[in-house]
Amino acid sequence: MMMSLASYLVISAFLFLIGIAVILSRKSLIAILLGIELILNAAALNFVTYSRFGSQDLDGHIMTLFIIVVAAAEAAVGLAIVIRHFQLKETIHIDEVSQLKE
Amino acid sequence: MFHKLLFIMSTVLTVASALVVLLNKNIMHACIALLGSLIGIAGLYLTLGADFVAATQLMVYVGGVVILMLFAVMLTGGQDFVSKTQKLFDLTPNMGNATSYSVGIVSAALFGMIIYGLTESSLSSIPKKDIDPNLIEASTLERLGELLLTDHVLAFEISSVLLLGALVGAAIIARPDRSTSSSANTSEEQ
Amino acid sequence: MNSTIVSYFSTLPFYNHIIGFFNSLFGENGQMVFAFTVYFIAAFIVVNILSAVGGLGTYAERKISADLQARIGPNRVGPYGILQFLADGVKMILKEDIIPRGADKFLFYFAPMLALLGVFATLAVLPFSSGLALTNLNIGVFYLLAVSSLVGIAVFLGGYAANSKWSLLGGMRGASQIISYEIPVTISILAIAVLSGGISFDKLIGAQGGFPHEWFVFHNPFTFVGFFVFFTGALAETNRAPFDLPEAESELVSGYNTEYTGMRFGFFALAEYVEIFVVCGVAAALFLGGYRVPFDLGGDTLIGQFLQIGSFVTKTLLLYYVVIWVRWTLPRLRVDQLMMICWKYLTPIAIFNLVGCAFWLVKFDGRSMFNLIMN
Repeated sequence: MMMSLASYLVISAFLFLIGIAVILSRKSLIAILLGIELILNAAALNFVTYSRFGSQDLDGHIMTLFIIVVAAAEAAVGLAIVIRHFQLKETIHIDEVSQLKE
Repeated sequence: MFHKLLFIMSTVLTVASALVVLLNKNIMHACIALLGSLIGIAGLYLTLGADFVAATQLMVYVGGVVILMLFAVMLTGGQDFVSKTQKLFDLTPNMGNATSYSVGIVSAALFGMIIYGLTESSLSSIPKKDIDPNLIEASTLERLGELLLTDHVLAFEISSVLLLGALVGAAIIARPDRSTSSSANTSEEQ
Repeated sequence: MNSTIVSYFSTLPFYNHIIGFFNSLFGENGQMVFAFTVYFIAAFIVVNILSAVGGLGTYAERKISADLQARIGPNRVGPYGILQFLADGVKMILKEDIIPRGADKFLFYFAPMLALLGVFATLAVLPFSSGLALTNLNIGVFYLLAVSSLVGIAVFLGGYAANSKWSLLGGMRGASQIISYEIPVTISILAIAVLSGGISFDKLIGAQGGFPHEWFVFHNPFTFVGFFVFFTGALAETNRAPFDLPEAESELVSGYNTEYTGMRFGFFALAEYVEIFVVCGVAAALFLGGYRVPFDLGGDTLIGQFLQIGSFVTKTLLLYYVVIWVRWTLPRLRVDQLMMICWKYLTPIAIFNLVGCAFWLVKFDGRSMFNLIMN
């Protein structure tokens, strides 16, 4: 009963919401990227869970592998942007990244 | 029994580390907590019989993404930034602010809706198959390799292009531009 | 299937008696408890023996360096000074444990543990013989690479947490070096995996033979070059000279472990020496035939197992000697040279080797050079 479909889904939902909360509440650009990683991992966990309990083929695993690949690419580009922004403006506070607003 | 033990340990590690990511004000510690959370998820993959995915998770996140994050934290100042972070659970003296309340309410509402949806009868509509105990122990490696190069070969090739683009793009974006940096220096001198 | 030390046990005649005994103690979970006990004991033994090997590594390093420099080296403690590493260990335990002011305490404590964890977790798949490997995962080499990347994080954290500029520079260099050199190493391993058709250690070693001409290093020209690419990259990944930029004494005092004292410093040193053993073991398993002995002498008997262990350990220790020899012979590289070697030379060569091995597999049906020459 403990290792059932529902328990994995609850863990995944919990991770997803923590990711949302991190993105909403923290003010550092890097912390927001951390939250995105949590959200992506929650989705990936769901894919593997359904692959195990639902169809029992490996398409979910493949999807998770691609999610990991995309997450790595996203982290590389995102962090490059953060570092570049820090070089130019000397801040990574999300509220001070507002040049397009004005 | 050991699958259960692994499941409990991984769950605790995942959830507790994710909470630390949310609550810890030191962003370096938050990165390390993210590392713990990712390792916990790799453990959960193992309990689901996904050995190759678990190893890939460790390889890519531990060896790549988390180190990149640590580098970025270090290059952007790290601890100096702590004082500016939102104090979500700061109890003095105004018991939080509008942002923290709205975050809390939205999160709680979403979580409640998801839990409600899970416990609702929607789950029982999924055909419940008996899990083959041999399937837990069997390796997914050969089948994954075949699938990647037959059914999913297009996505596989496109992901390689994506990675190349991300690599070149990240290198170009992060490279200090000579003209702007020199102009920044001259503006400082003035 | 994932054959393990427990499945090896289960072929023994008295296995059912033991399971019955454990069942009477723990109910129906007896088999699980027995498996856990066996794993625990085996892991305990392997970890301790490898720690001793790591300790002896420091002794070997000092003795060999003394030999290369026409000195005597440690000769006071025990016969030929062989107990020197015990004296060093006792000294390290007795030293004061200092935390620098302004250091990040949690990360400062955490980093050496992480380094040890990453190194010792790799021992789970290291194949000492066909019977003595803690577990034979289907994803053996991949698991090893994945777990050992924890060491990179540990090096970086150790450098960052100490609040010292030497440490920080050393940690940065170490982390960037480790993640850079992972690429040629992984691609070289992939080339071997293409030839052997699997990434578990028993498949990789099973595709080779006991004689040198059956080893993968002499399989074709590409694997011959690949061996040196792998070995160079592995040297860099373990932060050994000539790639010891993270610990460059003349520039950075001692690099990422400058501020560490006592046993925490010892943890880093132990992790380094055990990691060298692991890396040399992997090189021996992938390219030099691993535990295979000529004519499969001894077969599956106990004597055969000991011969296999001897074969594996001999190859590994020879490579270990080469590592130390290289350290005390070659001068240190500069940082730009280090990155240039990785990205401009080793990575393209490794990719070329991978393509070449795939080509060889298709063209010559996976037969080795000697096989082709003989026929």
